[in-house]
Amino acid sequence: MSTSATREIREVPSYCYNCVAGPDLMTVRVENGVATRIEPCHAAAAIHPGLGRVCVKAFGLVQKTYNPHRVLTPMKRTNPRKGRDEDPGFVAISWDEALDTIAARLRDIRARGLMDEAGLPRVAATFGHGGTPQSYMGTFPAFLSAWGAIDYSFGSGQGVKCVHSEHLYGEFWHRGFTVAADTVHTRYIISCGTNVEVTGGVCAVRRHADARIRGAKRVQVEPHLSPTGACSAEWVPIKPKTDPAFLLALVHTLLFEHERRALDLPFLRERTASPYLIGPDGYYLRDPTSFKPLLWDEATGAPVPFDTPGARPALEGRFTIAEAVTRGPDDEARPQHNVAARTAFTAMADAVQGYTPDWAGGICDIPAETIRRIAAEFLENACIGETIEIDGETLPFRPVAVTLGKTVNNGWGAYECCWARTMLATLVGALEVPGGTLGTTVRLNRPHENRLKSVQPGEDGFMVAHFNATGRKDWLAVPNGRNAHRTLVPIVGNSPWAQALGPTHLAWMFSSQAPKEWPAPPLPEIWFAFRTNPAISFWDTAEIGRAMARMPFIVAFAYTFDETNHMADILLPDATDLESTQLIRVGGTKFVEQHWAHHGVALRAPAVAPQGEARDFTWISTELARRAGLLERYNAALNRGAAGAALKGEGYDFSLAPAQAHDVDTIWNAVCQAATAELSHGAEVHDLDWFKRNGHYVVPFKREDWYLYPTMVRLGLRFELPYQERLLRVGVELGRRLHEQGIHWWDHQLDEYVAIPQWHDVPERWVQSIRDMGADPADYPLWGITTKVMPYTTGNNAGIPLMHEVSANLRNHGAVVINATTAASLGIATGDWVEVRSPIGATRGRAAVVQGCRPDTVVIPGQFEHWKTPFAKDLTFPSLNTVVPLSLALTDATGSGADVVRVALRKIAAPAEAGVA
Amino acid sequence: MTRYVMVADLRRCVGCQTCTAACKEGNATPPGVQWRRVLDLETGTYPDVNRVFVPVGCQHCANPPCMEVCPSTATGQRADGIVTIDYDLCIGCSYCIMACPYDARSLVDRTEYAFGEAATAAEAARADRRTIGVATKCTFCAGRIDAGTARGLVPGQDPEATPLCVNSCISGALSFGDIEDPTGPIASLLAENQWFRMHESEGTEPGFYYIWDKGKL
Repeated sequence: MSTSATREIREVPSYCYNCVAGPDLMTVRVENGVATRIEPCHAAAAIHPGLGRVCVKAFGLVQKTYNPHRVLTPMKRTNPRKGRDEDPGFVAISWDEALDTIAARLRDIRARGLMDEAGLPRVAATFGHGGTPQSYMGTFPAFLSAWGAIDYSFGSGQGVKCVHSEHLYGEFWHRGFTVAADTVHTRYIISCGTNVEVTGGVCAVRRHADARIRGAKRVQVEPHLSPTGACSAEWVPIKPKTDPAFLLALVHTLLFEHERRALDLPFLRERTASPYLIGPDGYYLRDPTSFKPLLWDEATGAPVPFDTPGARPALEGRFTIAEAVTRGPDDEARPQHNVAARTAFTAMADAVQGYTPDWAGGICDIPAETIRRIAAEFLENACIGETIEIDGETLPFRPVAVTLGKTVNNGWGAYECCWARTMLATLVGALEVPGGTLGTTVRLNRPHENRLKSVQPGEDGFMVAHFNATGRKDWLAVPNGRNAHRTLVPIVGNSPWAQALGPTHLAWMFSSQAPKEWPAPPLPEIWFAFRTNPAISFWDTAEIGRAMARMPFIVAFAYTFDETNHMADILLPDATDLESTQLIRVGGTKFVEQHWAHHGVALRAPAVAPQGEARDFTWISTELARRAGLLERYNAALNRGAAGAALKGEGYDFSLAPAQAHDVDTIWNAVCQAATAELSHGAEVHDLDWFKRNGHYVVPFKREDWYLYPTMVRLGLRFELPYQERLLRVGVELGRRLHEQGIHWWDHQLDEYVAIPQWHDVPERWVQSIRDMGADPADYPLWGITTKVMPYTTGNNAGIPLMHEVSANLRNHGAVVINATTAASLGIATGDWVEVRSPIGATRGRAAVVQGCRPDTVVIPGQFEHWKTPFAKDLTFPSLNTVVPLSLALTDATGSGADVVRVALRKIAAPAEAGVA
Repeated sequence: MTRYVMVADLRRCVGCQTCTAACKEGNATPPGVQWRRVLDLETGTYPDVNRVFVPVGCQHCANPPCMEVCPSTATGQRADGIVTIDYDLCIGCSYCIMACPYDARSLVDRTEYAFGEAATAAEAARADRRTIGVATKCTFCAGRIDAGTARGLVPGQDPEATPLCVNSCISGALSFGDIEDPTGPIASLLAENQWFRMHESEGTEPGFYYIWDKGKL
């Protein structure tokens, strides 16, 4: 090895935000101008909850930089025919030709109008996992802002690969776009499929490890034994998609098998809508004058508006109300005289009375006594009545939490799970308090950087909710986006993130067969794609690939050739993680379990020069804006804060001259200075050079701000639980609107709009889907599900050999995981080739025979079956995506589906291409 | 006296392989050679199943079988307990590989690269021809320890004097330090928890301790 005397060694501060569990801080070691290794950012140990460390994925970034398969020049397609079996005929072109070609199309569109004849944006864009591409696209958001209307409805997995129902209901109920345990305080976690040891990121892994050592107990409820199950105190192997029954039974047990005083009665009475009175028509009984919901005042023995000072609300009971009014759908005021009423709490108890542990045990394949014991342990650990001091404030201490994993949280059954999970927390006062179940961030509400500020008083004593309109006058009857999110999904709202959280598979489905009631949606004239590969990552990848091939003009920011950019017209090589510049926000509470006691910004500085002709994304964005005639609008967007910080604020002004094309460093120098001025309230200003030396700048973030409860108390608000009057009304209105248009194909989804979620045979929907495809369920006797491993989870790194090598130490890497008894009955041994088949196709892989998997379930980890991505295409790994159908019937009311399919399993001979991996 | 040891808290380890990757990159080991790796083990019968992740590598034994069989005296042992291989003396006979009860040693007889025949710029920058055709294994990052201690740093506490796998471990499962320091963190970690060493019956006296309080693996 050469000696250090001959080497020039630099350590460059940077960050990794390749998965939504980041960002984490790191250091890039550079020897003689070559990046050689990644190390933690030890300087951040005191401010980063994961002690300045990064996960395994970050260590792949060196190979990512020097991957010989990279696309290193702009390229254009020479074969106009598109399809998997067509050679695109990509040829290298200059940046000028590439950008001028795109800009000419952009200018032509602007001349004709941003919207097409169907009222849909002519430009579409798709970005990959959980908003993380934004931390690598430099100033492209300013370009998008400068452009105007863009369709974000072509998904790459949203609604299937995320925790979709939690995003929508979590944010609605407690500003929890994602939901986590307050692990640093908690004592007991019921984890339904949450694979936090794989997907929770560095901070969560450390927090959970510390909790285990502290003695916290986690019960892992999932069909197969994941790493999280392995690290849990108990594994409960539940039948797939029966989690609603399990969770409803836990709610039942708390309500009917324990004394009422064991619950947090003050919390229920004062911070929830439990005392609100429900009329015979299912809507809140309201004061005829003020229209406010009524509750029964035990002090006066009469109904009073919910916010009456001095009232002593009855938590439960049935009453006769002499005069009231209800607000039905479409603002129908319904007078009510001498009507029977019950509190929302009583309505909940009535609704779950039949959901006994014995009932659920048969559905879930879990002993009833196990369910009873878990409920009792949850209650015992809730510490009702105890308090804790945080930042000098005394807060309730409720160290129990319930978390939900991906497939639990998606598709049919997810509404019931989200509601029951949130109610379990609510019944013991463990919602948004230390030790309990917490939201982490907001994306459907604003501001993103502080969810507490998104809480504003709304109707009926609740937080404001921004639903899409469902009234006769303001419902959007003809969609203005290709996935119809404003038309079909009221709860998703219409914020900048809303469209990408609508039913994104509908955009793909409707591109080939639109509903007859709506104009056929023309395809976008330009589709931008970055850090996304829906041809691999979505359902029914063959159909997605065919839909993609119909796109008339695709601009793909390309790292290597892959299955999606195989259909592209122009490839643009952007400088990757270690080669480019960007400042991003870090800290506070961001997604997953990134709970910091600080917040601030971190710089990704170029550790090495870009390979080949790859260019910094900010340069690409500026050039696109300039050539498309959008420079002034682009600079204006930057000045407003499109790069992460407004360039002008109180006491500082780093605004960029509007008519000038600024270079990369000039732009980020301004952002660095503005961000530090903003964070320090003008006390400190640090420029780009300072950040290149120091990497990050943070200021304290109050730990009290991890919790929503103090804000709710300060504003005098109640959590909108347990009764879902708003959803009930919205559902009826939506049904009326759709039926007025003659649309009945969304009727099953309308069934989900109920005030108290009820069990319906969730697994049977997947069995029925087999019949709907013309097949016999008996031929598909097993459940097919998926899972993740940390080296790959959402890393967009299947072409990195290091990830493959280290993943091979895990038993399920690239395999079909099968229970040992099931495998034996089919003559399958570990290493044998097997085929997993559904009615839409088959996938093949090697068997991994284990004990830690239900006998009726097979598990296919990751998302593979690449056919174009270099290195990955030679792995011959299976993919569940190949066999999961795109299906309206398996889409729930929020527009999400689940990674679940009924499958057949058989041993096969090794395929001809086997043996490479 | 100093004896450096590794401690793996199996209650913490999540099997993420971050240590594996950090070691591979930091020590520039070729494809397939892992001085540090994490096993994924399962015991029991459905539904009573345990799955546990076990970091492994050279155990830096007090009585190393590899050293005993080495015909060229390439394998040695430092005063601080670190078992070494002198690449200039190793003849690549593989006796040590056969003798090691921990499957901790590797030997590659030709240069291989991650993406095939050609080295990437990073691989070219780190290439060490001396490691071809000889036995290699975990060194406890001895170079970092020596450079760090020369500056007065404490292995296991100061990152610059600590093995890369320990520095990278995200769950806090891996700890490193001098077991002979009665006031150090290693001594207290082992005093306060149940632990075992792998294949102790072989008489190797490994310098690798596993914290585990859940019975038989």
